Amino acid sequence: MSVLSAKRKRAIALLSLTSIILITLDLQGSASTSVLRGTFGTFFRPIEGVARVVTRPLSNAWYGITNYNDVTKENNLLREKIAQQEGAAVAAAASVRLSQELLALNGLPTLAGINSVSAQVIGDSPSNFSQTVEINQGSKSGIKVGMPVMNAAGLVGKITKTFARRSIVMLITDPEYALSVKVINGPEAPTTPINDPRAVVSTTTSTTTTIPTTQATSNIPGFTPGATTIPLTTVNVTVSDPALAPTLTVPVNGALPVRETGILEGRGPTRVPIVRFIDSAQRFGTILPGAPIVTSGGSLSLAPPDIVVGTVTKVRDRLGTAGPILEINLVADLTNLSFVRILLYQPITERVAP
Amino acid sequence: MSLRFLRFITSRWTRLVLVSSVLLGLQTTLLNDMRPFGVMAQVMVLFAASAGVVYGSEIGALAGLIIGLMYDSVLTTPLGLASLVLGATAYIAGAVPYFVRDATWWSKIIAVAMASAIGELLFPIAQAMVGYGGRGEWRVFIVALVVGGVNLVFAPLMLLITKWTLKETLVG
Repeated sequence: MSVLSAKRKRAIALLSLTSIILITLDLQGSASTSVLRGTFGTFFRPIEGVARVVTRPLSNAWYGITNYNDVTKENNLLREKIAQQEGAAVAAAASVRLSQELLALNGLPTLAGINSVSAQVIGDSPSNFSQTVEINQGSKSGIKVGMPVMNAAGLVGKITKTFARRSIVMLITDPEYALSVKVINGPEAPTTPINDPRAVVSTTTSTTTTIPTTQATSNIPGFTPGATTIPLTTVNVTVSDPALAPTLTVPVNGALPVRETGILEGRGPTRVPIVRFIDSAQRFGTILPGAPIVTSGGSLSLAPPDIVVGTVTKVRDRLGTAGPILEINLVADLTNLSFVRILLYQPITERVAP
Repeated sequence: MSLRFLRFITSRWTRLVLVSSVLLGLQTTLLNDMRPFGVMAQVMVLFAASAGVVYGSEIGALAGLIIGLMYDSVLTTPLGLASLVLGATAYIAGAVPYFVRDATWWSKIIAVAMASAIGELLFPIAQAMVGYGGRGEWRVFIVALVVGGVNLVFAPLMLLITKWTLKETLVG
């Protein structure tokens, strides 16, 4: 009995040591652990496939019991939303195409210029502490570690591991995820205070001035710019004497949206992501809930510019120069991912030296 | 040679690998979809804890290490981490006889549930130890509580499965 026990103790020690060695190898990024995982996956996939088929009725019954009311409610809401958005989508598509043509004409990078691969989400992480999903496209489709993943709504995450025909996607909500983003703050409403002591409510005169269209020229071959429209404000001034009505129109300085960069950080499945390191500059103004968040791009960024990430839901001001912390509502529904698009754009920071 | 091969394929460890594969299939499909209170039930943790309770610390730890190694292969955490965690879980579960003399069926069930909850708590601790930190939040206790509760319900069935799987010989 004691011989058997000693043998078992040796086996326990051996297995524990193996585990520790495997952890060390995996943390060092050794390829051998990927080979081990890949080999196990080859044997395990058929078992998983059978289990999926056998247990599907049970899963469906579970969804039916737990989510029926929510699904009905959501369905009605979505029908209404689709009806509202169909018209807006046509106009938006035209604007996006126009914007991309303009960017391409000026030699600026656009998302349309980046190839992409569509993939299906085939599984979540079977753990309570990882925010990852598995997709059915891998290195054979040109997918590499670090590539951004998005769905129809916006950014979803990034590729963290690739196999021949599948990949692992780390979601934005994972605490390990951080990304450089831009907050696009809308222009503040212009106010033109007039402190005229003689001003008494009597007559209202409205004055509007427009700049005549001028034919501009361009250095870009084949590009003829159209009419330039400068945003103007109409100032309604109340004066006592109509003869004193001003003939001045004030162009709005802040009519274009102001942008500021920050870092988006995931905080797990139960807490919303945040954006920090936003500069509390006066120029940027007050950030209001609803301001859109898009990727900032840049040579060191994990994603190309202008991918929609979400909107600001809450602004938490901090003392000093720390700048506010923004809580984000992601546009992509990460709890219900079916199909995703992988942009074949590998950031410099994720490239493996040959 | 053929006798040795026969002995190998009828051994408890071969049965353990086969049963673990089926349970892992359930873990990555059915239990991945069914999440009571937003928490995934952990059948692999339940299996390891049951092994400890039924066959004691030594066999339990060995079984836990093997179950964990298989579980590791489908997780995104470093390979070997779940192995150590489940090994430790089974070892803790195997300590029941030190606290309960002549354990009854219901005390074994409670022991499995408690060991499962402890095992689930060990996951974020182990992750933090290898630098996968930032998970120090109250949610881990809720997760452990739900996992313990779900495993309390399924423990009677799993104890029977474990008893059969790790039986020294299938005859007698």
